[in-house]
Amino acid sequence: MKNRSAGDILLNTYAWCCALILTSAVLIIAGYLVFHGFSTLNLDLIFAHTPVLEALLLKKQVFGGLLPAIAGTLALIFLSISFALPVGIAAGVFLAEFALPGTRKILGLMFDIMASIPSIVVGLSGFAVTIFLHQHFFKQLYPCLLISALCLAFLVVPYIIRSTQIALESLPSQARLTAPGLGATRAQNLWYVLIPMAAKDIVGGVILAIGRSAEDTAVIMLTGAVATAGIPGSVFSGYEALPFFIYYTAAEYADAAELMKGYGAALILLFICGGLYAFAYWIKKKVR
Amino acid sequence: MKFVFNTTKHLAWLMACCFILVSSSPADGINTFTGEKGTLRISGGTAHIPVMKIAAQNVMGAHPDIQITIAGGGSGAGIKQVGEGLVQIGNSGRKASDAEIQKYGLSLYKWAIDGVGTVVHPENPVKALTSEQLQDIFAGRIDNWKALGGPDRAITVYTRDASSGTRSVFWKKALAKGAISPKAQFVASNGAMKTAVAKNPYAIGYMSVGYIDPSVAPISLDGVVPDLETVKSGKYKVSRGLYSNTKGPVTGLAEKFINYLLSPEGQKIVAKKGFVPVH
Amino acid sequence: MLENDRIPKLCLQIAAWGCAALTFGVLAFMAWLSIPVLKASNTVQILTQPWLPNQGQFGIGPMILGSLYISVLSLIIAGPVSFGGAIFIRITRPGIAGKIFQHLVEAMTAVPTVVYGFIGVFLIVPFIRETFLQGSGMCILSASIMLALVIAPTMILIFSQSISNVPREYTIAAEAMGATPAQTFFMIILPYAWKGILTGLILGFGRAVGDTLIALMISGNAIAFPGHILDSARTLTAHIALVTAADFDSMEFKTLFVCALTLYLLTCLGVFSARVIGKRQRSS
Repeated sequence: MKNRSAGDILLNTYAWCCALILTSAVLIIAGYLVFHGFSTLNLDLIFAHTPVLEALLLKKQVFGGLLPAIAGTLALIFLSISFALPVGIAAGVFLAEFALPGTRKILGLMFDIMASIPSIVVGLSGFAVTIFLHQHFFKQLYPCLLISALCLAFLVVPYIIRSTQIALESLPSQARLTAPGLGATRAQNLWYVLIPMAAKDIVGGVILAIGRSAEDTAVIMLTGAVATAGIPGSVFSGYEALPFFIYYTAAEYADAAELMKGYGAALILLFICGGLYAFAYWIKKKVR
Repeated sequence: MKFVFNTTKHLAWLMACCFILVSSSPADGINTFTGEKGTLRISGGTAHIPVMKIAAQNVMGAHPDIQITIAGGGSGAGIKQVGEGLVQIGNSGRKASDAEIQKYGLSLYKWAIDGVGTVVHPENPVKALTSEQLQDIFAGRIDNWKALGGPDRAITVYTRDASSGTRSVFWKKALAKGAISPKAQFVASNGAMKTAVAKNPYAIGYMSVGYIDPSVAPISLDGVVPDLETVKSGKYKVSRGLYSNTKGPVTGLAEKFINYLLSPEGQKIVAKKGFVPVH
Repeated sequence: MLENDRIPKLCLQIAAWGCAALTFGVLAFMAWLSIPVLKASNTVQILTQPWLPNQGQFGIGPMILGSLYISVLSLIIAGPVSFGGAIFIRITRPGIAGKIFQHLVEAMTAVPTVVYGFIGVFLIVPFIRETFLQGSGMCILSASIMLALVIAPTMILIFSQSISNVPREYTIAAEAMGATPAQTFFMIILPYAWKGILTGLILGFGRAVGDTLIALMISGNAIAFPGHILDSARTLTAHIALVTAADFDSMEFKTLFVCALTLYLLTCLGVFSARVIGKRQRSS
């Protein structure tokens, strides 16, 4: 039986107020976005005047539609995760399995810092490195898809490291004892037993990383995203991206139609990130 | 049969003439890009972007193997980037200085003439300013619209960053190199300036005359309204050329693109977008 | 896989130390590129002077103040609300409403910041402008409100975690002795969890300082020293974004590395403080 006093009533009222304030703020924002953007969600938003099949087969460029931006964002996600995944899992495995306590502390600190670096600092470093290389070594190198993907990989690697480390550390001790007891080496145990067991939790971190690559704007602004580029022809070319398009539209939309496209793009990006989050949530539920 | 023979001969001759006429399209039209492939990187002045975009779409639409990327950044950025070899064409809304031309070995190509006009929100009752009033507003000495006959609200001044050619022309010719208040809010391009002024009833800013549309209201400066006619006739003094710069004499895809801009087809795009064509 | 454990272990070591080296490398690179600027005029001058490149002054003082004002204000707005939200989830625990709220907060962490910025420009800015009848609406207050929405979910989750980390024995014991939930909260839970709450605040502050898009889109980017929450301001992060878009070779550009260095050091400060506080908690 719980006693209730004036203090309780005050505390609960305060808690309810805060919860309601936050919830209504979120609902207002979501409602505003959906209200303005829902009407623009159709194939025209993505393909504009180009026939869908020809655009997808890259026979014709799309002008005034979101396809180049969506393609750019997808390319970024794919490239950055390809770079970050092996490195992140390797580092996470090292931290969980092979590192001495002292090493673990130092590396843990470095990775904490890595996870907290403002994304614009990462972008500026990438840009500065590109200019430096361009001036001294590779005259052909410009801010491009590859540079952006590498910088994004740097940004998201800490998520993968952290989730790999936590996943491996929370495995039961039998997992480390059974296979070696039957003659397997540590490496074999790792590859055939531990990582598959930890896979579902690692996937959670990977999805977080994908979401981050999709939405980050500060890094790509400085390392290759431009307002007009069409579908990227190679990894060494400029490209468009959804978050950059949204930023750019908010700053300078030429007419109401372009503003509507901005709303549509914001909704699409929200759906992508929301979908990834829901997918991660579903996977976590399956583990239980 | 004589009649038929003559008709056939005339017909053949007619068809030959048509064929010759059709195949000799203007030397710098869209067909000169046939067989080209590769990437063309363009950046710099934001006033150029509407024309660049349409020209690029025409080229890319007809020749899918060509990719043209267009970025903004302002005239200063365009000049620097083309000088450093980061882009093939660097646009500038001001003539590159002698120091810049020497340092980077630039070649300049002017393909339009444009003005820089002062703009306010369409609902703003203030429609005319003298040079002195303009300088006072931008310096922050006049800070409320009521001093000019408008509503009793603070004036929000919008300005561009140091790289902007639009800004440097406006500062030199309209403000006579007067100060711009540090409280002025920054926007990164002509498009952003238009959006900012169109959304804020108490704003004042400056932008390319080609960008002016019904969402903003131009202010007449010393009695001259900035529009296409006054820029063309020279009556509106705050004008500048729109240049595309390259490092060294232009070659390859960039050359074709600049020639396209200077061709009748390109100049038509220039006129349509609200600038004064050079041809 | 080889019988020999050494080659795979070497690869893993290279991966881990490589990442750590890159992290340090960013700091070293920023510091190295800042040297020309810091040599040209001394450090204190750079950090406190105004930004007037036409007059040869490349101080980042206004930007440091802008970053601090916006971040602190967003913390002032988000802190109490997040605290109340965490109490709602853990203490008040109103059944299904609590669960829904928790899921909502977790889902909010997935929203891209650029979307918040976009909505801020079209919803908050006109609202602030017309409510206060001053300025353009693009000011510290508007940016702080949207930034508070960005940092609140993470803070709620950290606070809520700290509250639930209090050992059950303590709370059960207090209840058994007749304490009301509020008394339990103030006398048992808070004293135990305050360090976790402080950590949450520090992390929230770090997140606010490091954010670029919200300030870039909403705070107006004026270069004057900000004086009032309805003044336009420029943060270190927005400054980097604006100047890089337009430049890469001049003195103005080089001062960006000082901005980046400042941001990096502020970040490190946050990480260190959170760790120190956490350590004291674990040993207590």
